[in-house]
Amino acid sequence: MKRFIVFISILGIVFSCGKKEEVAFDPGDVDPGHLHHTMKKITDIIVHDIFSPPVASRIYAYSSIAAYEAAVPGNPNFVSLAGQLHGLEELPKPDSAKQYCFELASVHALAVVGKALIFSEAEMQAFHDQTLAAFKNSGMPKAMYENSIAYGSEVAKHILEWSGKDNYKQTRTFEKYTVPLHDPGKWKPTPPAYMEGIEPSWNKIRTFVIDSASQFVPKPPTPFSSDVKSQFYKEALEVYEAVKSTNSEYEEIANFWDCNPFKMNVRGHVMFATKKISPGGHWINITNLSCKLANHDFFETAEAYALVSVALADGFIVCWDEKYRSKLVRPETFINQFIDEDWLPLLQTPPFPEHTSGHSVISTAAADVLTTLFGDNFHFVDSTELEFGLPARTFSSFKQASDEAAISRLYGGIHYRPAIDEGVKQGHQVGDWVLRHVRTRKEHLAWKE
Amino acid sequence: MFEVLEPVKAGIDFENTLTPTDDFNIIDYLYFYNGGGVAVGDINGDGLPDLFFSGNQVKNKLYLNKGNLEFEDITDKAGVAGNSSWNTGSIMGDVNGDGLLDIYVCAVVGLKNLQGHNELYINNGDNTFTERSVEFGLDFDTYSSSAAFLDYDLDGDLDIYLLNHAVHTPESFGHARLRNVRSYESGDRLLRNDGEKFVDVSEEAGIYGGITGYGLGIAISDFNLDGYPDIYVGNDFHEDDYFYLNNGDGTFKEISKYVFSHTSKFSMGCDVSDINHDGYPDLITLDMLAEDEVVQKRSEGDESINTLRMRTGGYGYNYQFPRNMLHINRGNNQFMETALLSGVAATDWSWSALFSDFDQDGNQDLFISNGIPKRPNDLDYIKFVSSEQIVSKMEATKLVDQKALALMPSGYAQNYVFKGSGGLKFENMSARWLPQEKTCSTATAFADLDNDGDLDIIVNNVDGKPGIYINQTNTSANYLKVKLKYNQSNPFAFGSRVYSYNNGIMQVKEMYTARGFQSSSEPVVHFGVDNVTVIDSVIVMWPNGDRQKLTAINSNQTLTISYNAQPSSIVVQNKEEPGRIFEQVDLNNIGITYEHKEDNYTDFDRLKLLPYQQSDRGPATAIGDINNDGLTDIHFGGSKHMPGQFFIQTESGFLKTSIINILKDSIKEDNQSIMADFTMDGKADLYIGTGGADFYNRSAPLLDSYYKSSESGFILTEIEGYFENVSCLQPFDFDGDGDLDLFVGAQSVSNDFGATPKSYLLVNNNGQLAPHQAEFFENLGMVTDAVWDDYNGDGQVDLIVVGEWMSPVFLKNNRGKFERDKVFLEGLHGLWQAIAPLDVDSDGDTDYVLGNWGLNSRFKATNGHPMRMYYGDFDDNGKSETIVAIARDGKYYPLDGLDMLASQLPVLRKKFTSYESFAGKTIDQIFTKDQLNKATVYEVHELASGFLRNNNGVFDFVQFVDNLQVAPILSLMRYDFDLDGREEILVGGNYFGVQPFHGRFGSFGGAIIKSESDIRLSQSIGVNFFNQSVRHFNIVSFKNEKFLIVTINNGKCQVYKILGKK
Repeated sequence: MKRFIVFISILGIVFSCGKKEEVAFDPGDVDPGHLHHTMKKITDIIVHDIFSPPVASRIYAYSSIAAYEAAVPGNPNFVSLAGQLHGLEELPKPDSAKQYCFELASVHALAVVGKALIFSEAEMQAFHDQTLAAFKNSGMPKAMYENSIAYGSEVAKHILEWSGKDNYKQTRTFEKYTVPLHDPGKWKPTPPAYMEGIEPSWNKIRTFVIDSASQFVPKPPTPFSSDVKSQFYKEALEVYEAVKSTNSEYEEIANFWDCNPFKMNVRGHVMFATKKISPGGHWINITNLSCKLANHDFFETAEAYALVSVALADGFIVCWDEKYRSKLVRPETFINQFIDEDWLPLLQTPPFPEHTSGHSVISTAAADVLTTLFGDNFHFVDSTELEFGLPARTFSSFKQASDEAAISRLYGGIHYRPAIDEGVKQGHQVGDWVLRHVRTRKEHLAWKE
Repeated sequence: MFEVLEPVKAGIDFENTLTPTDDFNIIDYLYFYNGGGVAVGDINGDGLPDLFFSGNQVKNKLYLNKGNLEFEDITDKAGVAGNSSWNTGSIMGDVNGDGLLDIYVCAVVGLKNLQGHNELYINNGDNTFTERSVEFGLDFDTYSSSAAFLDYDLDGDLDIYLLNHAVHTPESFGHARLRNVRSYESGDRLLRNDGEKFVDVSEEAGIYGGITGYGLGIAISDFNLDGYPDIYVGNDFHEDDYFYLNNGDGTFKEISKYVFSHTSKFSMGCDVSDINHDGYPDLITLDMLAEDEVVQKRSEGDESINTLRMRTGGYGYNYQFPRNMLHINRGNNQFMETALLSGVAATDWSWSALFSDFDQDGNQDLFISNGIPKRPNDLDYIKFVSSEQIVSKMEATKLVDQKALALMPSGYAQNYVFKGSGGLKFENMSARWLPQEKTCSTATAFADLDNDGDLDIIVNNVDGKPGIYINQTNTSANYLKVKLKYNQSNPFAFGSRVYSYNNGIMQVKEMYTARGFQSSSEPVVHFGVDNVTVIDSVIVMWPNGDRQKLTAINSNQTLTISYNAQPSSIVVQNKEEPGRIFEQVDLNNIGITYEHKEDNYTDFDRLKLLPYQQSDRGPATAIGDINNDGLTDIHFGGSKHMPGQFFIQTESGFLKTSIINILKDSIKEDNQSIMADFTMDGKADLYIGTGGADFYNRSAPLLDSYYKSSESGFILTEIEGYFENVSCLQPFDFDGDGDLDLFVGAQSVSNDFGATPKSYLLVNNNGQLAPHQAEFFENLGMVTDAVWDDYNGDGQVDLIVVGEWMSPVFLKNNRGKFERDKVFLEGLHGLWQAIAPLDVDSDGDTDYVLGNWGLNSRFKATNGHPMRMYYGDFDDNGKSETIVAIARDGKYYPLDGLDMLASQLPVLRKKFTSYESFAGKTIDQIFTKDQLNKATVYEVHELASGFLRNNNGVFDFVQFVDNLQVAPILSLMRYDFDLDGREEILVGGNYFGVQPFHGRFGSFGGAIIKSESDIRLSQSIGVNFFNQSVRHFNIVSFKNEKFLIVTINNGKCQVYKILGKK
């Protein structure tokens, strides 16, 4: 409880809540801290509840968009994403006769949508109750408080209804991945948990901005061969050698970007999971710290989360589309079968096909968006992994970070090089598309095009 | 029945206290909680069994039995406290042939800082012992679990099987061939006694010793009664258990895949005894499935079907499932697994099993010890608690502190005891026979501690005093104890077999003492004989094969029998084998080389909550003269994308032949086919009922094919409008117009299990087939089989239809119009698979034999508490799913756990954010009233196979004996196989289309039902369908002889010559 800080400052007026002439109370410039903290809470619960990376990206996207849409009416410089994202229809309008604090509406919408999409609702609600209490105790008039909550709820409802039509529910009953036992080139579950291939139908999920899941089909993987002279074998050997001859720097990089939401540790009959933030969650956190570093206000912060999360979500969809098209075998399976029975990757192999590398796709897409928002040479210290026992890393640009995230998969022994190269390409394609097709400002700022 | 002897009062202060530390605990050593050992035997020749306990971190203790259940600690004087830092199992046997029991104590050495070696305490005869393991070559510094004495080469002295275990974490399976590479630390050893020294002969004898040997269980028995001891090794984890058949030439053959349909996965202790009085040793192996609903739902369960397939098909392992297995010896080196049927499958985290006749009623009972201080397979611990509490520390320091381990739930448990029936069933008597206490009980031994004739149990408990259970049967039932005296090098006659015969009932016990887990019991043979005062005869088969017979033995005595060989004319009578009716034929000799290959489709990948598959109901088989040459040919239907095959009969045999315009039809999966002359042109037509469950909705390949013969070959038409998965084709001229009509039964709707598939009756008009009474037949249910028979004797042939989640349906034929007839009371919904008429009770009228799911299953159903299946769209996504629930103590629980249910219904994760919150919840606590009310509810009241007994037109259901309940019965054929002028029914079954949760139904070898009281099992009649899933029986004549063709799903067909012997 002591950690909780009230972010609302009574002084400083930039954007008012409600119509100024009628206002007896003005909460002033609401600190984006509530947005960050609620988002972090969603991340924590995503980690606890064990959502796979694609599903996590969907949670981030809908909740971030809800936060953004509930905030938009509070700032004339920003525009709604309705009509810009597939299937998102015009949002409910606030009542001009009523007073609102749209920042409160935004935080509330974020929490409501987040809560609907994660599992541990009680945990989320308890946290949100504290946030709401802080707003309540800021001296905000009851009517304004209630109007804002009501508006935030309305937006949340609108977003949730929209999210309900993205085929997520239907894909839960779609076919599982059938393991092709006797095809050495095709993906098989990997040790130690031998988990089933996750989300084989993720390409059936409605995209946010891109035209379709198959809009950016990458180059297919190198033709499978177990011939030692083949290109494929060489690529596997590169992974094998990378792990064999790893050094502390590569190891640190691999671990830093591991982002495995469910690593199973097996010690005889004792098993336990090590859970880390997902790749998407990592970039949401980078967004968080970049916003803080750049002193983004509430609205810019909501904008950043919305854009980054949309890029992440579409990135996962194009990547998963390819994964279950090529169904390529993981290095661990290939190497154990054809090179070295005892070889273990540095990182635990995640439970889905190899091509392309998800981390490469989504890191690149997110970095493209962040570069546009924050500039080319944005220096930041990424402390996301501190809570998972890994030291912070310093980057001089988002591109440097995303490139490192991409190559880390080779160091970790879980991807061949083409999956990384092609993944980065896909990431740029998605990032570029998102930036060209989603407009958040009335005035084009540093916008593309 | 058992009373606790207070150890301290009796002078026993041993306590196997474990002291886990930050750097040595269950994470560092996976078998930290396996406990010590216990060995019992009379070390000083006073007639009273003495007790030896080995301790893990505490010193061993030896207690002299002073009589009156008083014991004296003579450890120090005896010098057996031990020098190893971690002792495990201990056994007694006379190693040096001086008539005195020595003690061999195993140890784990080399792991972490564990010091020492296995120790051999040679009995000096004066209550002192000398440790002489080095001298005898038995000072192994490996990871030993336990050991067993046996004379594997029958050279007269005792050899040793040393059971070792791996300690490395099985990060990945690795291929099964890893067991071929010997590991010093974890490889098992076969040690031949060469007089003064034991020699490691493992390699030459064919004993595996790989790094994957997680040996926890060991049993010695002459399983095939050839005089040579065989070896069973229970391995933990993914490594198969080993079944070593003794070749009799100093070598063994490991054949577990041939012997067992499946084994325990996390195998722990085991024991062997003939429980069903047929003379063949039966086997139980223990695992860790909990009986308790809450513990079961909280604990890690079965692996996924895909992982299982990888492990078996990809990595070469056998099928293994995490529960106890009771393997009943079929007398042919194959075992029927019946633990679920027998009621002994789930006894929680189980270590040791002991068969003995504790209540002395003449049948073997079963004691099982269990418990673990911490349950590491608790799902909340694995997924939630562990991560948040220990992982950061784990990552940082590679150590796990006690606080983190303490978060695992306790696994202290009540031990189990079951009363045997002499058949396959056991009754749980734990609440009545045992003290009610929760312990972590590991090694166990039996002995008659108070020499009152009945057997007492000694248990080595982790973190507690030993449990000493004194049997109070006393004089309420009679017994015979036999002590054997053999030759100098094997004075206790290990390897002998003792038979007792009384009132025609045979009992047999083998003299092996290493039983249960890490222990050895008193070297005594014990028979319970109920109220018999004079036993007809006792026969001893000595290790060298010599026999000795004693007659008219008084019960209630301890009989010492000394070796005194008699003429070998003494006949040991095993159960009488009636004559064979069938003789298997080499497929190549007759030319029917058909092998069915199922496609790669897995129903569970699409319908995650299916109770069982639908895609594996084929292949079709039909016989008839397809080429009009007067000889019977065979059609085998193909599976999806695999064409069917014809085998055309020629003078020299059958020839695989193409019939062009039929075989090109290869997309469909053929479930059923029939050859008959529908067009009345004198030539056979072919009707194929299709299915396969993969194609769905209105997919064209789901339409049945009807090939009409014509001048220019066969012309295909399809039966429009019926897209279901066909299960049976029954032709009959029901309207009496001279041509054949056809009933087509449908079992399911693809991709929508639970919906009612449409069956149809096709009426024949000049060769055109059209539905008759369509609406009536389309609503019969999930039909699997049917038979045309005049059940009511009105001269009109009626139709009787059976199916799943429905009662048998009697359709009365009223001059071509059918109506449902009520011929039995309600409550006969089953998972019926087959029907055939026969006068089973020999009263002159026709009864109906019904194949059902069987009772060897995790399905449970009674009339009062039927099994339920809810069919509805629980997640409101436009697609229905099925959820099966069974009753426990009157309340309904879903059969599946949270992970399985949430794989289809993720919303449950919101309702239950922990496994603890889900475990123990009933179906109506898990789902809303609204959800359940909207669902269609199917029921099953009866899972047993049996027959509908005809009582003057009214039928009641009679269950068959347990031997016919071990697997689903899928195929029935009525025929006079034994040519005695009276028809009987041949029965086949077995089924594998279930999730690993259910295991594998492969234990049914087949049977002939001659009458209610005359049911003959596979080996006695000459068929063997063990581990084969039988789909069809057909009989063809070839060269004036009759042959039985057995069609097998996903396997080679079998052909038997019908010998016709009575």
